[in-house]
Amino acid sequence: MSELLPTGADVAFTEIEGTLLRGADARQSAGRALTGTVFAAGPAERLAEAAEAIEELKGIGVRAVLISQGDNPAPVPRVSNHVVALNGLRLEYLNNAVAALRLSSLPTLVWWRGNNIPNLPGLAQLVDRLVLDTEDPRDVWARVEELAQYTSVTDLRWTRLTRWRALMAHFFDIPEIRAALPDFRTLRIEGSDVHTLRLFAGWILSIVSSPDRLTFELIETKGTAPIERVLLGGAQELEIRLAPSRSCVVTSAQIRNLSAASRTVSLGAQDLCALLGEELRIRARDLAFERAVAASRTLS
Amino acid sequence: MPSNPLQDGLRLEPTPGPTTLVIFGVTGDLTRRKLLPALYNLSKGQRLPARFSVVGVAREDMPDDGLRSIFSASLREFAGLKQEDEVARSLRERMYHVGGDFRDSSLYERLKTRLTEIDSGSGALFYLAIPPSVYQTVIEQLGAAGLSSQASDRQWRRVIVEKPFGTDLASARELNQIVHRHFAEDQVYRIDHYLGKETVQNLMVFRFANGMFEPIWNRRYIDHVQITAAETVGVERRANYYEGAGALRDMVQNHLMQLLALVAMEPPIAFTAESVRDRKMDALLAVQPLVDGNGNCNAVRAQYAKGWVAGAEVPGYRDEPGVNPESTTETYVALRMRLDSWRWAGVPFYLRTGKRLPKRTTEIAIQMRRPPLEIFKRVSPTPVAANLLIVNVQPDEGISIRFEAKIPGTRMQLAPVMMNFRYGSAFGGSVPEAYETLLLDAMLGDPTLFARHDFVEGSWALITPVHEKWAAEKVKVIPTYEAGEWGPHDADRLMPPDGPRWRTL
Repeated sequence: MSELLPTGADVAFTEIEGTLLRGADARQSAGRALTGTVFAAGPAERLAEAAEAIEELKGIGVRAVLISQGDNPAPVPRVSNHVVALNGLRLEYLNNAVAALRLSSLPTLVWWRGNNIPNLPGLAQLVDRLVLDTEDPRDVWARVEELAQYTSVTDLRWTRLTRWRALMAHFFDIPEIRAALPDFRTLRIEGSDVHTLRLFAGWILSIVSSPDRLTFELIETKGTAPIERVLLGGAQELEIRLAPSRSCVVTSAQIRNLSAASRTVSLGAQDLCALLGEELRIRARDLAFERAVAASRTLS
Repeated sequence: MPSNPLQDGLRLEPTPGPTTLVIFGVTGDLTRRKLLPALYNLSKGQRLPARFSVVGVAREDMPDDGLRSIFSASLREFAGLKQEDEVARSLRERMYHVGGDFRDSSLYERLKTRLTEIDSGSGALFYLAIPPSVYQTVIEQLGAAGLSSQASDRQWRRVIVEKPFGTDLASARELNQIVHRHFAEDQVYRIDHYLGKETVQNLMVFRFANGMFEPIWNRRYIDHVQITAAETVGVERRANYYEGAGALRDMVQNHLMQLLALVAMEPPIAFTAESVRDRKMDALLAVQPLVDGNGNCNAVRAQYAKGWVAGAEVPGYRDEPGVNPESTTETYVALRMRLDSWRWAGVPFYLRTGKRLPKRTTEIAIQMRRPPLEIFKRVSPTPVAANLLIVNVQPDEGISIRFEAKIPGTRMQLAPVMMNFRYGSAFGGSVPEAYETLLLDAMLGDPTLFARHDFVEGSWALITPVHEKWAAEKVKVIPTYEAGEWGPHDADRLMPPDGPRWRTL
């Protein structure tokens, strides 16, 4: 990827503020309320799709900054509309860039698409929300407890699970199902991303009072959806599975004293922009995520 | 039974327990335009419970598929859903119909049986989307059939009553008494869709979650308040209802009084339904009678005459289909209100609403007092505009603040500038329709955004004397304003001669 953003002005780092204020888009949106800064950072090859998601976010009053990692200690920033791009920044300087480019007094979210790096704790201290999104998250997940001392930490895989978790929880709003909780013996989770499956399993593990009675089966599939099916089984059965359309899920319950029921529910938008939008609406510490990550590490 | 441990840390907001929504008047306009699309959106957003069903009740007897077809047509027409998706299909399958005469007790027995067959263990929410003339019948029949009795916490029974709740103080009191014979107050949800709007809810956040506004929210800093609800439409297909209602009953008694109460209320001690509603009630009680002891009335009424709106010639009110050619029903009303409270003494509240005005907009404009000394008078040729805080309720929900700034240049010249916050752009995502918010709140058992019986009665107590005075005048014509203009000149007499003017929006 040669450029993160095809158009825009090359400006010195210190002139970014002025360039943003003078830009045509800034003039058009004069008076718009700003809600925060979003940084997307990581290897260049993982930032192309991030740039598209960020571009869509500009309409909602955020300043967006794209930072691709490289060897340059002082890359020339490119400014286009409300987006600032720093190509090839040496990661040692990542925290300096974040500190300089964040909007003061408003929340800052960092969407980290790179791997485990030494200065993650420093980064966490600078921002209000750190959204992890690494290809192999095991190393960064091992540091979640440490990072959570400084800021609110979560993972985009966790964001993708929001609706799946909600649907599983909805089952247990029904008292008969809640009463049947000890009867479930197996949790089978299927999907293409084993880390997502582990995270879901970790969530359940962190909640149930007698985890030893539950056997976990994580089945990696060749599909494209990170998670495709959840089956809580035993004497009774609860299932959530992706509908053929992929935009909905079908939930079904086979519980004693309850007539078998099935319904189709929207999964909501699952594109990166929608997921990031969800993260922008959350300010609180994500304790459920922290517990799920910790529990997932205990899974064999 | 312990609470649901899986709810801990969930990001989606709470969902109601198992619910059956029973819509009386399921073939009507409100159901098709608002309720069914709202249910679809709630389902799409995963806000409906796992066990959720809809039972439609109407005079028309039809199979369940009849209601399902109405649902599909409603989504096509009012939710922009060209092709039914899986969410709609899933919701459709859980729709049932019971038809019959609302006065016939066997209808309610059949409804009861149907509810038991569908889901005997769920709560039931009865939505009265029917003409007000049938409220009493349906409420009494529900009570007689035992459908208002709550067998357990899970099998709750609630009723949503649409506006208008009564036509004057006496009828509102009578209706409240009938409702309370069968439903406790905490089972009754009197809906006012304005209260479901984000900006209206945000008004409380704006006032009570920010340290900078509440200290100036009083007579020392505020000059006056203007609340406007302007419509471009005429009476449309509602002539039958509107002829008996008029702008005062249709808009002021409910929507505008709620907005007034939210602006004027004292801070509640907590954000709980009763605390908020108590403080709103206090604000209403501070409003002084609109007709004083000498018969002076702080209200102006008018009717639209023919004119031009949005580039089209439109007929006068009396020439509208279904309207009595000699009608004296007001399509515009303006009021001046005085609140005798420590906070608001001496601050006038001006309210107005009308049909066939130039613009569709609802806003609350709070004008601040001017600085005590105009030190820029000599150097800046234009007079300094007063600071203004505008709460836009519709169509563009948000908040704007107007203040003076120096125009860049070598001279000291001042100009007013606006700082805008817009819901549509600030947070991303779509803003839920008011009916979505309110339906969900009723299912969750949260009455904060619904009118309590005393508020409804208090509001009628204020405007009923105005109606009585107008009725006693026995005039054959009332003042008119040209359609497409900002109301009658008569409205200006509510403002002091050297004081503020009605805002041109």
